[in-house]
Amino acid sequence: MFLNIDKQNRESVALVDNDGRRVTYGELADRMGELGARVEPRSVIFNLCRNTAGAMAGYLGFIDRGAVPLNLSDKIDRALLQTMLDTYRPAWLWVPEEEAAGFGGEVVCRLWDYALVRTGNPLYPLHEDLQFLMATSGSTGSPKLVRYKKGNLEANAKNVAIAFGWTQAERPLCDLGMQYTMGLNVINTHLFVGATVLLTTYNIMSAGFWQYMKEERATNFTGVPFSYDLFYRLRFERMDLPDLKTLSQGGGKLTSARFTQLANYAARTGRRFIASFGTTETAARMACLPAALALEKVGSIGRAIPEGELFLVDDKGSPEDAPAAEGELCYRGPNVTMGYAYTKEDLQRGDDCRGEYHTGDLARRDADGCYYITGRLSRFLKLLSYRISLDQSERLIQQAFDIECACSGTDERMNIYLTDGSKADQVVDFIAKKTGLHRSLFRVFAVPEILRNDTGKIQYRKMDARYAGAEK
Amino acid sequence: MTNSEKYDNVFCSVFEVGKDQLDGKFTFADVKSWDSLTHLTLISGLEDAFDIMFETEDILHFGGYENGKKILTKYGVEF
Repeated sequence: MFLNIDKQNRESVALVDNDGRRVTYGELADRMGELGARVEPRSVIFNLCRNTAGAMAGYLGFIDRGAVPLNLSDKIDRALLQTMLDTYRPAWLWVPEEEAAGFGGEVVCRLWDYALVRTGNPLYPLHEDLQFLMATSGSTGSPKLVRYKKGNLEANAKNVAIAFGWTQAERPLCDLGMQYTMGLNVINTHLFVGATVLLTTYNIMSAGFWQYMKEERATNFTGVPFSYDLFYRLRFERMDLPDLKTLSQGGGKLTSARFTQLANYAARTGRRFIASFGTTETAARMACLPAALALEKVGSIGRAIPEGELFLVDDKGSPEDAPAAEGELCYRGPNVTMGYAYTKEDLQRGDDCRGEYHTGDLARRDADGCYYITGRLSRFLKLLSYRISLDQSERLIQQAFDIECACSGTDERMNIYLTDGSKADQVVDFIAKKTGLHRSLFRVFAVPEILRNDTGKIQYRKMDARYAGAEK
Repeated sequence: MTNSEKYDNVFCSVFEVGKDQLDGKFTFADVKSWDSLTHLTLISGLEDAFDIMFETEDILHFGGYENGKKILTKYGVEF
């Protein structure tokens, strides 16, 4: 069975959610089988996820059946969802029960808080190795998906579980969504070892989150950098959390100050702090930094997980062989996915990547073989850990408002340069809605001109220095 | 500016709503855009506006427009 769910102790609890459900491995395996039997193998299924037992059972059961789920957030922008539906024509939807009627299809069964809806779309051919689909995170209105092949998720679950030393005694608190590669990875790695996954829909700033953590005796937590900003805003170091043994981080780079703070807290209180690095294209994690090195190697993503290999290439694509070097970070391993899809016909494509992925991130390797992310080759930001394409944001704004526009920024904020400042408010409203992110993460600058070089390329660095520099 | 006005202004700017929408039903559970980021922005905005610093328990239980006023009175803010 997928992730060996049926090989665990049937009486052990696999899933807990904050609606009060407790599901044993035995029951989960049974429900996966029943749910899977409702759908055709090789059908595409949209799973509108929230972190509850219902969404989880669908994801697991459909994969086990040989169908191909796409995990999306249940809060997904409805225009983007419509684009996805029009592009990939799924035969089935697995959605929160209260939303099922809104999709107009026939509800064929229910399980806990979820319902299975038949859309009436016909089946179409899929590549035999295709197992699962994910959107590239925070996508800006594009139907671009990552194609997972059979084996990607399980290989990563196994190797990350080994790297982190997870056992069935763990009780991870999972607030990162299962439609998000890091969130899904935390869940998969723990199910793989027979642990008890604590799913939650509470947000960190609510009393419910911390009460749930204490009552369910969570032993580990994985956050993105923003999660830890919130933790510190709540002065979490003063909280009494006796069961919490491991803090882990992924989904973007922590500041050195925050990294050091977490490493110190862990060292002082006998806990572990484990930084890690992953992407949707590699079925989540590629690397992590052993807890024992956290204080010594602040800011490092560590070394490759078992069965994986990190390496650096120069700007011509040749490997950098020196022990200490800098270049584009690349990865080889069994968790590298097959490539992208932009249309439903792309779901017939085979493996474009052949086990090797070039991340687009610049990295440095130290003499001990530990890696540090230093910058980025491609033009995207990670706002609140959501990957936002600057080029696509520019295009969306240009098309919607018919104005000149340039987008740049940092992982804290996107800078939007407009030659027509009168549209500033509308543009922020628009892009906040398109990305699903809060207005405060976008700053508009009205500028006399968009600076370009002789070949017409926008000079982003020059614009940042001239117009946004004073703000930093 | 009165304390009520200051308080309302922070809510209006964080949640992008008009004053007419601020009432007893404006709570964490009912407002879709009330997530961890808007919560954080709200708390920081109120701390700046009233020159106070919230205790963790009060940040976690700051669950609505009306209930927030009660919490603020603990910090000497009169409405």
